[in-house]
This record gives sequence, C-alpha cells and structure tokens, in this order.
Amino acid sequence: MGLFSESVEVVCSPSGQPLRLQWGNRSYKIAADPLRWYERRKWWEEELRAERGRGAGLVDHEIWRVQARANEQSELRTFDIAYQADTGRWRIVKIHDAVRELSA
Amino acid sequence: MSFTHLHVSTAFSAHYGVSWPDELAAAAAADGASALACTDRDGLYGTVKHLKACASAGIDPIAGVDLAVLDHGQAIGRVVILAHGHIQGAGYRALCRLISDAHAGTGAQSHQPVGITMEELASRCLDPATLTPVLTVLLGPYSDVGQALRAHRYSMARSLISRWQQLMPDGSLAAEVVTHLSPPGQSLSTGHAVKLYKLAAERNLPAVLTNAVRYCDIDGAATADVLDSARALTALEKLSDLQPNGQGWLKPARQMKALAAEISKAADLGRAGATRLLAATEELADRCRMDPVSDMGWKQPVVPEVSVIGVESEPLTELWNRCEAGIGRRFAGMSHQQEERVQSRLDHEMRIIGRLGFSSYFLTVAEVSKMITGMGVRAAARGSGASSLVNYLLHISHVNPLEHGLIFERFLSQDRSTLPDIDIDVESAERHNVYHRIFERFGPERVTLMSMQNGYRARGAVRDAGLALGMDEDDVGTIAKQLWRFSAGKFREAMAEKPELRDFSSQVDQNQQLDLLVDLTERLDRLPRHISMHPCGVILGDKNLLDRSPVQPSGLGLPMSQFDKHDMDPMGMLKLDVLGVRMQSSMAYALNEIIRIHPSAAEVASAGGHRKPDGSIPDFISGDGQISLDAVPLDDEPTYELIRSTHTLGCFQIESPGQRELIGKLAPAGFNDLIIDISLFRPGPMKSDMVRPFLEHRHGWAPENYPHPDLKPALAETHGVTVFHEQILHTFHVFTGCSMAQADVLRRQLGDEDAEPAVEEFFRTRAIARNYPLEVVDKVWHTLKSFASFGFCKAHGAAFAVPTYQSAWLKAHHPEAFLAGIFEHDPGMYPRRLLVAEARRLGIEILPLDINRSTGQYRVERIPDTEPPAGEGSGGPPVGNGCGGPAAGESNGGPPVGNGEPGSGGRLGIRLSLAGIYGLSRTELKRIVAGQPYDSLADLRTRARVSRANLKRLAQLGAFDALNRTMQGKGSRADLIHHLNSAPSRPAQRKHQPAAGQLTLPLGDLELSGLKPQLPEPGMTEKVRTELDLLSVDASAHLMDSYRPLLEELGVRQAEELLQLRNGTEVMVAGIRVATQTPPMRGGRRVVFISVDDGTGCVDCTFFHEAQQQAGPLLFGTELLLVKGITRRTGPKGIGLQATAAWDLSDADTLPLPERSSRLGRETAAGPLK
Repeated sequence: MGLFSESVEVVCSPSGQPLRLQWGNRSYKIAADPLRWYERRKWWEEELRAERGRGAGLVDHEIWRVQARANEQSELRTFDIAYQADTGRWRIVKIHDAVRELSA
Repeated sequence: MSFTHLHVSTAFSAHYGVSWPDELAAAAAADGASALACTDRDGLYGTVKHLKACASAGIDPIAGVDLAVLDHGQAIGRVVILAHGHIQGAGYRALCRLISDAHAGTGAQSHQPVGITMEELASRCLDPATLTPVLTVLLGPYSDVGQALRAHRYSMARSLISRWQQLMPDGSLAAEVVTHLSPPGQSLSTGHAVKLYKLAAERNLPAVLTNAVRYCDIDGAATADVLDSARALTALEKLSDLQPNGQGWLKPARQMKALAAEISKAADLGRAGATRLLAATEELADRCRMDPVSDMGWKQPVVPEVSVIGVESEPLTELWNRCEAGIGRRFAGMSHQQEERVQSRLDHEMRIIGRLGFSSYFLTVAEVSKMITGMGVRAAARGSGASSLVNYLLHISHVNPLEHGLIFERFLSQDRSTLPDIDIDVESAERHNVYHRIFERFGPERVTLMSMQNGYRARGAVRDAGLALGMDEDDVGTIAKQLWRFSAGKFREAMAEKPELRDFSSQVDQNQQLDLLVDLTERLDRLPRHISMHPCGVILGDKNLLDRSPVQPSGLGLPMSQFDKHDMDPMGMLKLDVLGVRMQSSMAYALNEIIRIHPSAAEVASAGGHRKPDGSIPDFISGDGQISLDAVPLDDEPTYELIRSTHTLGCFQIESPGQRELIGKLAPAGFNDLIIDISLFRPGPMKSDMVRPFLEHRHGWAPENYPHPDLKPALAETHGVTVFHEQILHTFHVFTGCSMAQADVLRRQLGDEDAEPAVEEFFRTRAIARNYPLEVVDKVWHTLKSFASFGFCKAHGAAFAVPTYQSAWLKAHHPEAFLAGIFEHDPGMYPRRLLVAEARRLGIEILPLDINRSTGQYRVERIPDTEPPAGEGSGGPPVGNGCGGPAAGESNGGPPVGNGEPGSGGRLGIRLSLAGIYGLSRTELKRIVAGQPYDSLADLRTRARVSRANLKRLAQLGAFDALNRTMQGKGSRADLIHHLNSAPSRPAQRKHQPAAGQLTLPLGDLELSGLKPQLPEPGMTEKVRTELDLLSVDASAHLMDSYRPLLEELGVRQAEELLQLRNGTEVMVAGIRVATQTPPMRGGRRVVFISVDDGTGCVDCTFFHEAQQQAGPLLFGTELLLVKGITRRTGPKGIGLQATAAWDLSDADTLPLPERSSRLGRETAAGPLK
C-alpha cells in the first residue's frame, strides 16, 4: 500500500483516534468505532534511504478504517486513511463505497 | 502500574534479534519497569549480558528461552519457556538442562533441528527434588495452538491445547497473547490475539500479554527485516514470512495497557478482561524474577573438586608442599641470599592465594599443564601467569619472575576476586587431542568448550545487505572486496575518506539502490551472526557445571557452552586458554626432521654448528641426538645476528614488515632486548611515539633522562622510557608508598574517565607529601596518564619472546628443517610461496614433486652430490643475499651442508609435499604414499587408484619426470600430458590385472618408454604458471622471472640492490604482494604497508595519504604491483620504500613504459599470472 491519493485533514482525540475528516470541501464526522492496524510497506522498493535512526513510518503505515458522514442525513461512507509518521500528514488510501481504489 | 515484558529477543538471538541487552534494560527501566526478561532463540546466548545490564539499570532479570517444539523430528511451533526464580537455582538448572536437551544430537553432521519434544519439556518443568513446577511454558501465536487459531482451525486448536494441558504439570502452562496490530486476518492481528485469549479463558488457563519483542524501538524494524532475509538466504522481495509489520518493539507500559484494553474489548471481556490479562502478566513476572546470586551463582568462582585430581589433603597444604618441592628443582644450588628472596616471594604469593581460596585453582592448572607435557606435546605458558613464582615452581610457566622483575600483583592480588587467566600455548596440530584428554581427565560433566560470538563485519554485512535487496551476487562481491578493515557502522563515513572506495562512492551517486545498500550495511554492523568454538577456551567446573551452562555440539564433537569469554567472570567460571599455536607445531616438526636427517648427537651438533669451542656436544642435545629446545641457552650469538640482519621471514612475531623495520632499528643483542622489542611493537607504543626516544637513548644519540633518580632502578632497562606495566606499578609504589596490589588497581583505573581524577588526586597528594617537587610530580603524572593504557605487561613480553628466540635459533642453525616445518604448518602471516622464495634465497633447493619421493609432508632430503640441481633451465637458485644482508652461511655460524660427516655427504633440500596439490583428496594421497614406490603409471593406477584428473595434475607438475628419466622415456612432460588426455581413464580391466599372488613381469613402464617425442618440454613460464595454479607455489622458479624483460624495460630495481642505494633515491620496484597491513599510526592518519616480493627479497612499501590517493583501487585488490618511491633507510640492515605511485603490473596498457608502443611489454605482461 505504497501509493496514496489525496491528502486529507484529520482531527484526532488526545489518544490519537480520528474524530473528523476534512476532505474536499466537506467535513465528515466519524461515527462508530474506527478500526486501526499497521500495514507493511515494501520499503526497499519505495524508499531511497533506510538509514539508522530513521524512525517510524519506514516499515509500516498506520491505517484507520473509519465510517463517516457529512451530516445527519447523508449516508455513512467508509474510508481507509493512512497516517504518515514521518510527515505527520494523513492521506486517503481507499473509499469503500465508491468501490474504487485510488491510485495515482 | 508498570508492565513487564516477558518475551524479548536480544541481538544474541542470531539473525533474529536487533537490540543489545543494555539498550533493552535501560529502556525498560526508563519506562518504570522493575523487571525484564531475556528469551533468546535456542539458548542463553544473551542471558549473562542481560543480567549485567539489568544490574546496572537497577531492575530484576528474568531468564528464559524461545524454543522450537518438535514432533516426530519436525518443528510444530515455537514456545517461550521462563525459569522461576528465588528457588535456589532450581528453575535456572532446569532451563540449562532443557536447552542442552534441545541441542543434543544436532550439529553439523545431523539433520535434526534444534528443539524439544513436549514430553521432554514436561519432564523438565518439575523440580525432581520437590516435584513443584520450576518452569512456565508460554503458548503464544507461534505455538501449534496459536498457528491453528490463525488458520481458523478451531477444533484442532482445542485438541492441541488439551494435549498440552494433559502433558504439562499444573502451574507450568500459560497462554501468551500478542497483537502487533497487523491488518485484520493476518498473523499477530488483534483478532489473532483475541482467539487465543478466549481459548485460554475457556480452558481456565492463565493468559499473559507480551509484545514478542525483537527490537528496542520502532527504528529496529527495518533491521529485523534484513535479518529475516539473511536467515532465510532470500531477498526481501521473495521472502514469504516477513514480519507482518514493524510493531515488535519494546512498547512502553502505557501502550501495552492500551493493547490489553483493545484485545479485551474485542473479546467482549471488557475492562475486567484487560485487568486480568495485565495482572496475570505481573504475577508470572514476579514468579520469574531471578536472584543472580542464589539462582545463578553470579560471581562465585567454581573450580573442579580437588579429589578429581587425586588430592586428598587440604588444598592449601598440598599447594605448599608442591611449591616447596619445586624450589629444589628450579633453584638447585642457590645461595643463602637467593634462598631468602625465593622464600619470601613464595610466602607473599601463598598468603594471597590462601586468602582468596584459589589453591585448588592452581592445583587444577598444574594438573592440566602436567598432563599436556606428559603427552609429549610442546607447550608454553603465556600471559601474566608468568609473573607468579608459584606457577614457575609448579612448571606451569617457564620464566623465572625474580630474574625478570615480574610482579605477582600484576597477575593476582587480594583486591581482585575473579579467577586469574592462565594461558597455555600448545602445538596447533595437537590441540584437539589435548582437549579430548582434558575431557577424559576431568570428566565430561566438569568440562565444556567455550564459545565465541561472531558478529557482522563490513564484508559480511555488505553481502547480506545486498542479498536482502536482491542485488547481483557478483556485484556485491566486487564491492565487498573493496572493504578493508573498517567497521560496517561507519560505511558512509569511510566512503568519503578512503581512496579505495572512491569508485564505489561515485557509483552510489548514480545508483540509488547502492545508497540503500550502505544504509543496511550500517544497520547490520556488529550484530551477532552465529556462535562457534572459541579458538582456545576450555571451561572447567565442578560436577554441576552443566546445571549452570547450557551446551551444544561444537564442530569438534565436544560440547560447547553457550557462554562466551565475557560471561566467564560474571558466572564464576574457570576458563583455561589452551591455544593451538602453529609455530609450536612447526618447531616440533623441525626438531623431528633434524633428528631424522642427522640421526646421532654428533651429526646434529656438527650440522647445526652447535659444538662448543672444545668440540664437545652441548647439554641441550641429548645422547640420542634430540634437541631440547627449552634448554637452549638464550644467548646464542648467531641467532641474534640473524635477527639483526632482518632476514626473519618465518620467525615467530618478528617477520612482519613493521617488526622487521623495528628490529633493524633496535638491533637486539640479548633476550631482554627481544622482550622490549615485542613489547614496543604494539599499537599503543607505536602510536604514542615511545619508540623514537627509546631508540635514541639506546643508541646513545640522546642522553638518558630520568624524571627522578628514585625511578632509575625501575626504568633503567628501558633507558628511562616507561614501556611495561611493571614499571607503572613501581612508579606508583615509589611516589605514593602504596602497595603493589593497590598500584595495580590504580593502573587499571588509568584511562577510565570516571575513575582517573581520583587516581590523580591520590597520586599528587601523596607524592607532594613525600616531598617530590611539583614539576617532577607533574611530569611523572603525565607519563603515567599517557602510557599506562598502552604499556605492556612485561610478563607477556617475556613469555612471548621465548618462541621468537627459539624459531630464530632454528632458522639460524637448521634452516632446511626450520623451513620444512614452516611449509608444513604454515604458521605465519605470509603465503607459503614467499617462504619458498626465502628458501631459494638462502640457497636451499626446492625439490620437485616426485611420485616416488614426495609424501604427504614437506621433508628435508639429502641430495646426492651427483644429482644436478632441480629445475634445470631455471638458471639455478638465485645467489643473491636479499637486501645485501649476509648470506645464510655467513650469519649462521657455518653452513649446515657438506660438513664431511661420514656417510652424510650431499646438500640438503626440501621435497615438495603431495598435500599441497589442488584437487588431490586425502584418501588418494594416503593410497599413493602407502603404495610407494611405483615402477610404472599402470602400477600407480592399479594400486593407488588415482583419478584421471589427478594423474594429469601430477604429470603437469612433473611428478613423473624422474620416473620417465629412469625408464629412459623419450617423450617430454607435454607428450605425457597429451597421452594422459587421450588414454583410457580407468585402470586396466580386471582380467588384465594380476591375480593375487601372481607377480607382474618387470617390464618397466611401456607407457612412458613408448611415448613418441612430439611436443617440446613446457617452458619455465608455463611450468611456473601450472605450479601456481595447482600448488599455489612457484616452486621451479620465481614468478617474477618471467617478467624480467618487462621489468628491465621499465628500469625496475631488485630488492637485493636497494640496500646499496643512497637514502632518498627514487626507484621503481615490482613484485608479488605478500602482505598488506594498516597499522595504527601517530596522528590517526591511516598508513598502508604493502610488501612485495620479487624473488631477491621483500620490499616493504609505505603508502602515506597522497600515495593512497594515487593508488586508489590498486591498494587492496592487485596482486602484481609496480611501485615507484623513495628509498628510506630504517636501520643498519634495513631499507624500505616510501611509495609515491603504484601500477598493476598485469595491466600492460597502464604501465609507465618508456615507449608506449613496446610490443614486448604487452606480450609479457599479459602472460604469466592470468
């Protein structure tokens, strides 16, 4: 899972759990408990360096699967969003309802 | 509340763990943990280091292991086993025995994997004495149960866990719940953990939480990937069982608690479930806290029971008696004054030994020493043990400490409670026999070999990093060859600095994969790869040794401890260093050759020039002609003459280029000079400029200088320069009035940043109080501070100097036997071919391989006067003297040849051995030697059953030339090779073979005599090339001979000419590289010494920074070198070259030929070595 699509703004709880997404022009509120895992990367293909002291984010990415809706009326959509430890930024890697994997 | 990690692999889990025990313990302590486990794979490899790390971090150690479980010889999963603590070692004992069980029957010859059956495991879990559980087995995600759950085979998991519960005693089983938060459905996901936790709850089995730690922090994850790749010998891209992600690190308590909550919530067990999981973890941790002292015998010295060596009385009394008896033997006929000195020294040593309770230790070592000598094996003690009179009286060491001013406290004092080291050098060829005898003598329950850890160094690291990245093996190999003696951890730094990496550096700029290669190489730096048998350590203990150390098979078949030398003192283990020294074997071989070729005392004495002026035979030659090397007086003038000539190739420790330069300058005249020489030739003194002032004072170029007259007695032997530890001890003693024991403690603290200020304070206060002037105190302190860490223990130097002297003595008096011993056992730093060149230089003939005369050894042979020199056409042996030094005959006190002894006429030569032939197996060799002599090729084929390929090799090497001459064959060597290429490969058919008892007709060799002469005899160049290919030795002539025309065109000088040139002459030399060294140097800038041999001697070329830049990639890779430089005189008999430029002699296009178009140069240069 090395290719990422779009950058997304995420608001988190103090314990690091995502609460809101800001994607496109809309804000999504995260409903239900999100699922979180760490997914391996083929760092030896994707990275130019792997020096000692490189730290988090080289071997795996933290992925959250969240269900969110823009407002009370809109339907729940499922997003996989990835946190990049080295830059501190979030990206959307998958939008399930759209049944399309984003890769660019 | 803190959290205790119970499943942690350290870096000592080879090719698995990433972090060092001290990093892990420090991190755990910093997070507030009060205990930490070390559960290395397959053994206790990191356990003692873990104990030490925990002690300094102030936490309790927990000891365990991560082992495979076997079923019908197959691994069915892995479990962690933890020892219970505070039960007087019952848990630790069971753990040691269990691990030894797991390794029993494994090893190189066996296909059995390391592991344990459930039944074996169950039987070790209960203490045989109390029948209570002393081990706990953790069934985790890698166990058979965990794997079945991961594969959704729930009923199988249930039956597996039932089996565990049935087999294992109550209270010795727990479930190990782990989540690395991997993606749902994968191994080590939270779901995986939940299933195991639920199953445990269902079975009423306690469940604990771990993180199956492989690295201290997140950064280690990539290193773990590379280690997985190296373990599987598979590129990362193709590796099927990579860790699912990089979460196996030593997570802090806060995160571990969050994980517990997450698992419990997913398992619908709520907060109570998380609390239960964490509480069970801490409960088990508490049960497993180790008391290093009462459980593991921390720092309590243990030696064999004296009853084993037949001592019934109190050991101290026995030791007294034996020492008293030794005085009579060692000091027969001494004066009353001497007797008082000896007696008071003995009282002093015995008082300390008695107080430390080490008398049985000395009795044990004496027993081993006696046993080795009794086997007829050459042995010499080395190291600081030579400082002890007790050792001298017990015949453990052979240097009289009183005569050389050696101080007992340097070896042992009341302020040290660890067992001292006594090292014994034995003949390398006999080492394994000695080990076996020690095992027999003390019993296998009391003895084990020590192991050593082999860590990644630059070359291995770059190879495995390249493998992980899937790079081409040859490309990586090419890079690896460029790496020369720097730590892998500083690869990137080295790339910027080292000229030989220049090309590689620029490739890195272009190829980004190489950038990764450098990073991964640095990650692997120093990590342990595997353990192996230590080259000399043998551990001796009491009958409970195997309760304290797990053992596994060694390459030798004898059991090997999982502990290395760093673990000995902490575990109170007695390690005896029995080191195999090839030089001892070489000398033993030479002594046997001397008596074989000169079979009487009279012949030996005459041949070696040993007769006294009155013609009598000296005492060291016994009635039957055996030379007792240890009895040879240490003042033989021809020996020192040889040493001063610097023609010391082959001599112990003084053959390296740097040493040859130093002995040239120092010009040793006696044994004490040799001790000083050996002590000076060390990194410290060379680096700190001790050598120059010493030499200036020694040769009287500068006046001797003592900081204070009180120091003169201690420093006089080295002209005021502090060289020895003993002198530092004396200095402390004189200036502060402290005892020698205290002085040695102070000496050890020098150079230690934390301890040194207190030492300085003490020294200054006491010295001023004793009325030494301030400027003297300043000066002396400066000396102590700067030299103490470099200085050398004189006892070591004295012990080392003995074999140095003995080897030089043999070379001076019996050069043929000496060199045969050197060829046979190959003890030194140089390739054999250089020593062959040395023999040629000394005028000793190298006799060619001969199917009827060569054996499996290099033998001295008498050459009948009628026989022409071997290798006709080679122009005979060169007659030069090397670098203008005296010829062997002159310096040897009479040439050992043609001395008119009746029946012993003829020169001595050395016959090449069949053992050196490439491709000839040991069994073929044995058959050839057993069947000698042969009267025909058919005879050889029939009786020795030599393969066709080897028959051809023998022919190529001229082994049939003599037979061919006898048969008056007319064919050349080339004709014979041609014939063998076309002849049938098998021996004569059975029906043509003579039946048993039937004699063959003595027809001679029709095959040889029938050869049609068609092809010319191969030229010398071709013969030499063949010899290099098949023997790695240019025996018939020197390799460089074939380059002669090219060298003449280039205007190259020969080694033997250099000494006649003025200092500072610019010359070119050429030769084969025989040694490359990068000794540490003053100022920290690297200097590279390259020695080349051109057949007339060796030229030692020094490459300083600029020359290294010029030479670049040639520095370490090229075999045949052309070097330009300035001559530099190093002493009366020594000259070297300061290089300015170098070329590859075999690369004709790059050579600085006067005319670039010279065809001659190109043709010749393209030829010989390729």
